[in-house]
Amino acid sequence: MIQLNNLSKKYEETIVLNVEDLSVNTGEHFGLVGNNGAGKTTLFSLLLDLIQATSGTVLINEIEVAKSEAWKKEVAAFVDDKFLIDYLTPEEYFAFIAQLRHVDKPKLKDFLQQFEDFFNGEILDQKKYLRDFSKGNQKKVGLAASFIGDPSIVVLDEPFANLDPSSQIRLKSFLASDLNKDKTLLISSHDLNHVTDVCERIVLLEKGKVIKDTPKSPATLKELEAYFSGQ
Amino acid sequence: MNLFSLQWKETFRAPQWEAKLSIKIIMALVMIYFLGAFVFGASMAYPILYEKVLDREPVEVYNGVLLYIFFFELVLRFFLQQLPVTNIQALILLPFKKRKIINHVLLRSIFSGFNTNPLIIYLPFAISMYRADYLGSQVVAWWFALVLVTLCLNFLIYIVNKNNVYFVLLLAVIVGTIALDVYTQIDLGHITGALFDAVVAQPQKAGLFIFPLLLSYALVFYFLKRGFYMDAGLSKKKAAVRTGDYSFLNFLGEDAMFLKNDLRMIIRNVRPRQIVLMSFLFLFYGLIFFTQDIYRNQDFVMVFAGLFVTGGFSLTFGNYVPAWDSSYYKLLMTQNISYKKYLLSKWNLMVFVTAISTVLSLPYLYFGWEVMGIILAGSFFNMGLNTWTTLFGGLLNKTPMKLNVKAKAFENTQSFSLNQFLLIIPKMVLPVFLYWFPAKFLGPTAGYFSLAGAGILGIIFKHQIANRITALYLKQKHETIEAFNK
Repeated sequence: MIQLNNLSKKYEETIVLNVEDLSVNTGEHFGLVGNNGAGKTTLFSLLLDLIQATSGTVLINEIEVAKSEAWKKEVAAFVDDKFLIDYLTPEEYFAFIAQLRHVDKPKLKDFLQQFEDFFNGEILDQKKYLRDFSKGNQKKVGLAASFIGDPSIVVLDEPFANLDPSSQIRLKSFLASDLNKDKTLLISSHDLNHVTDVCERIVLLEKGKVIKDTPKSPATLKELEAYFSGQ
Repeated sequence: MNLFSLQWKETFRAPQWEAKLSIKIIMALVMIYFLGAFVFGASMAYPILYEKVLDREPVEVYNGVLLYIFFFELVLRFFLQQLPVTNIQALILLPFKKRKIINHVLLRSIFSGFNTNPLIIYLPFAISMYRADYLGSQVVAWWFALVLVTLCLNFLIYIVNKNNVYFVLLLAVIVGTIALDVYTQIDLGHITGALFDAVVAQPQKAGLFIFPLLLSYALVFYFLKRGFYMDAGLSKKKAAVRTGDYSFLNFLGEDAMFLKNDLRMIIRNVRPRQIVLMSFLFLFYGLIFFTQDIYRNQDFVMVFAGLFVTGGFSLTFGNYVPAWDSSYYKLLMTQNISYKKYLLSKWNLMVFVTAISTVLSLPYLYFGWEVMGIILAGSFFNMGLNTWTTLFGGLLNKTPMKLNVKAKAFENTQSFSLNQFLLIIPKMVLPVFLYWFPAKFLGPTAGYFSLAGAGILGIIFKHQIANRITALYLKQKHETIEAFNK
């Protein structure tokens, strides 16, 4: 369970995020949509205690993220390429994360097997450092790594951006699969279709404020589409 | 013109340009100091040579060592000069002619700080020459020839940097020249010197130096033109993967995983390699001081030298913790990592390398037991206390590090701040007192034990110290993440 209470972030005089009260239930697949600058990344960064809130608190399983580090055991995230160690090969990177998450070698191997289609033969055994991979393939590595060790909460910022269409579809089917049924997933995107395929609850941000918070249904989809097309 | 205006914007809109003013001013003062030292040294060269070398003209002697100055310059350029090549990638698709872009890049490289050499080193000497009754035309010709050679080196280093064959060739030439000089009668320095002597004798000959310049320009031009595609010369080279699973470190348990990463980071990235190589040179620092009798009786010099011999790695590496990990700092901050463990693993690495340096410094025994004693005691002090002080200093360093890009000249000092300057007191001044006090009253052995003992205390209380620094790290967490995110 994740709770945001009166959370706000100001830079100088500009309010970039101001969320009064928002909670995400355990096992919920939560989609965050909004245009550029709506505050999606700010919200996730506050959630992961990467930036300091101007006011308010974030609680993950009752633990205040700014006060304790205990929440890190439960949470994994891939926000941007600052989550990749670019001088490692993908294998070494996976092994590093697996060690941090106390996953042994055989288990890691089994785990990676399920990404065979998603990796499309372009990730493993390439004898290349991560910095020499394309943006899309780097992203695949980061996304897969954030599921190592079965964290109960996974935060993904724009997971579909930079991926080719086949990979987008494979990612969607992985996220929606039974494996992740009990996980709390927080996914942001400015592409409505992707998020609505995976998430059961959609929150729309505009200029740092929650302006819509609804369960997914064909009707809300229409409404959201109307919002994005500016009607 | 267009290209130059882009260049202008690139320079003045760069984030470093807005860096702290205070650091800028200190940097400027440091630069002025070094400039002054060089100019002073160069202007003293003529009078000194005039007095000390009686059988030959000072200019002749100076010309004789020019070749070695050129070599030194090439080595410096190789390690430090950052070529502006990658910036042109964005321009390839735009309607600029290839020739134009290449010419622009090459012309631009002329304005590199490395080409101020003729002004700093040669001009003062030229002025001395003029005052010593050489004709204006002679002096100008001599200086002009050196300017042309400097530019020639400026272009050559491009190829040496990008092409291993030329690199080996250069290395062979330098080693060959030195070998010939030492083992045979052939002194290539003399031969090059004769060329410049000839210019002084007949100033119009300076014009001949335009040919090697044109040749080097043409060489680089065609070298770049041939590789003028995104995937060839312009992009950074994709290095072959250096594998190595370092599983021999597994006995260290959880610490091993950070240690493995640090080793990979050092081996696989340009910048840390550069710093580690430089820190290796610290091992030879003692040769300057322990060989001179005047220093042998000065305690503080001995302690300094003793600390430097084994401390090179920990004093440099620690200054960049956590900046080494700046490019994936967010990962470390959200992953299941205890900060203390992270810190201790860095500390272990520093202690480990200091121990290796200590073993490597055993040949200093040649200079006697008191030298070895101070090195060993200094090594303990480095392991136990200087490691922690440096790690604390590293925390204050919030400049993100581009791992796989060579440091520009003076870039290693860019992140230098007043606080770090003050840390010299516990790092260097404190050990002098720790040695000097007991040594004065009880003899040098007591000094060694006092110095080493302080270090051993730091090792014994490592957990307590690590806890304190960890608390500071956590306090500055957001500030550091933000700074590293730039």
